[in-house]
Amino acid sequence: MKKSTLSMMLLGSLLAVGTQAAFAAPDWAKVPKRDINVFHPGVSPMEWVGKKSDHSGTAGLKKGETCIGCHEEKGTLNFDFKRLAGKDMEPKGAPKTMMYPVGVQAAYDASNLYIRLTFKAPAGGADQGDKENEVKATVMFPDAKVQLANQAGCWASCHNDARTMPGADDKKTKYTKEGSYELMQWKSAKGAKVANGTVTTDRKMDGGTLGAQAEGAKTGDTYTVTFTRKNPGEGKTVPFGIAIHGDHASGRFHHVSLGYTLGVGADGDVKALKQ
Amino acid sequence: MAGKFATLWATLKKPSAKYSLLGLLATGFISGILFWGGFNTGMEATNTMDFCISCHEMHDNVYQEYKKTIHYSNRTGVRAVCSDCHVPKDWTHKMIRKVQASREVWGKLTGTIDTKEKFEAKRLTLAEREWARMKAADSRECRNCHSFEGMDAEKQKMRGAKMHKIAQDEKKTCIDCHKGIAHNKPKGMKEDEDEDL
Repeated sequence: MKKSTLSMMLLGSLLAVGTQAAFAAPDWAKVPKRDINVFHPGVSPMEWVGKKSDHSGTAGLKKGETCIGCHEEKGTLNFDFKRLAGKDMEPKGAPKTMMYPVGVQAAYDASNLYIRLTFKAPAGGADQGDKENEVKATVMFPDAKVQLANQAGCWASCHNDARTMPGADDKKTKYTKEGSYELMQWKSAKGAKVANGTVTTDRKMDGGTLGAQAEGAKTGDTYTVTFTRKNPGEGKTVPFGIAIHGDHASGRFHHVSLGYTLGVGADGDVKALKQ
Repeated sequence: MAGKFATLWATLKKPSAKYSLLGLLATGFISGILFWGGFNTGMEATNTMDFCISCHEMHDNVYQEYKKTIHYSNRTGVRAVCSDCHVPKDWTHKMIRKVQASREVWGKLTGTIDTKEKFEAKRLTLAEREWARMKAADSRECRNCHSFEGMDAEKQKMRGAKMHKIAQDEKKTCIDCHKGIAHNKPKGMKEDEDEDL
């Protein structure tokens, strides 16, 4: 055997081991699953959420109440979906399915936190702005400086002057007024790059600190997306939110979760299982 | 003129020689009942929904909005009509409100809201006036039917139950939160600065 062939084989085995180490995925069959409902939020940006004449729950938020504290009930979300799909809150027309569940599982080891999302993204969307990707799955993590970080998930990044909002600037992305979000996104298009980004004064799809990787697949009509990100530290509870852009949706035409917490060896709405 | 008035006054003061005291009392009593009954019946007639929506200003605008709400149609068939929310039940406050309503007659005569556009232009002013009245009365008309004591929080959606708890703790009144429940909310509502995030 030539030396070069031997070296290639050695390199190959090292790469294989390396890849396996990078995706030391847990045995998901053993990881508990929690359904989190994602819903079409219409035009309900942070400005809407914080305005009492639009959202009477503003009084609750001011007292430290979480979104799910009032709206998650009996395994569903108790929104007035008729109002949410109506012309005032969704001038462009609402998707056929206003809400659907996403199975969320989480596990961690010394270096990584793994999050797996399982969902059926329904057709019948009102916007097909993304021609390349049928589906995008995003998870965002606010830092402590983000307004309502522990209460409202991704909402502090959503504003009435961001693109796809009625009458808004086409180039303005989501942004925060204080603090920042880490963002990871998987796209369904073949060969699409996994986003490992941030949301501060604008949204950047790379340069994030999560070291995010993702793998996704569609089996039948079910998508399974597994994210791997840096472990935030055992004993921590981190807030997060999920967004699914289904049926080629772009911009705000996604289905989003409210704010939830993920416990890494700690309490949380979703508890990551130690590997 | 002054002489005629003095003569009339003198006649009224003079004891009757023709009619018995009982007859006069009975006539006065019956006339009083008839007058009072007539007055009340007339006033109650202005409290019916049919009366309110006999004006196209009410019929074409707020009535159409109200018809889509739970105060018009619901599971149990209990209906709150216009006056249940907008006219006090007790006599004193009702009379005050009815006198104030004479302003609405003037509005009708001068056509201040006689087109859709004029109505929309004035919707905020009208709503604010009514909200202020309801708040000053501690949502008295709401409380004719609803009360915190009568509420079963267990049967409410969580969002309602939690908000009602906060409202009780902070001694809020119904109209503080429940604006626009029977009619469309006006555009450009002013916000209380301390209430927003």
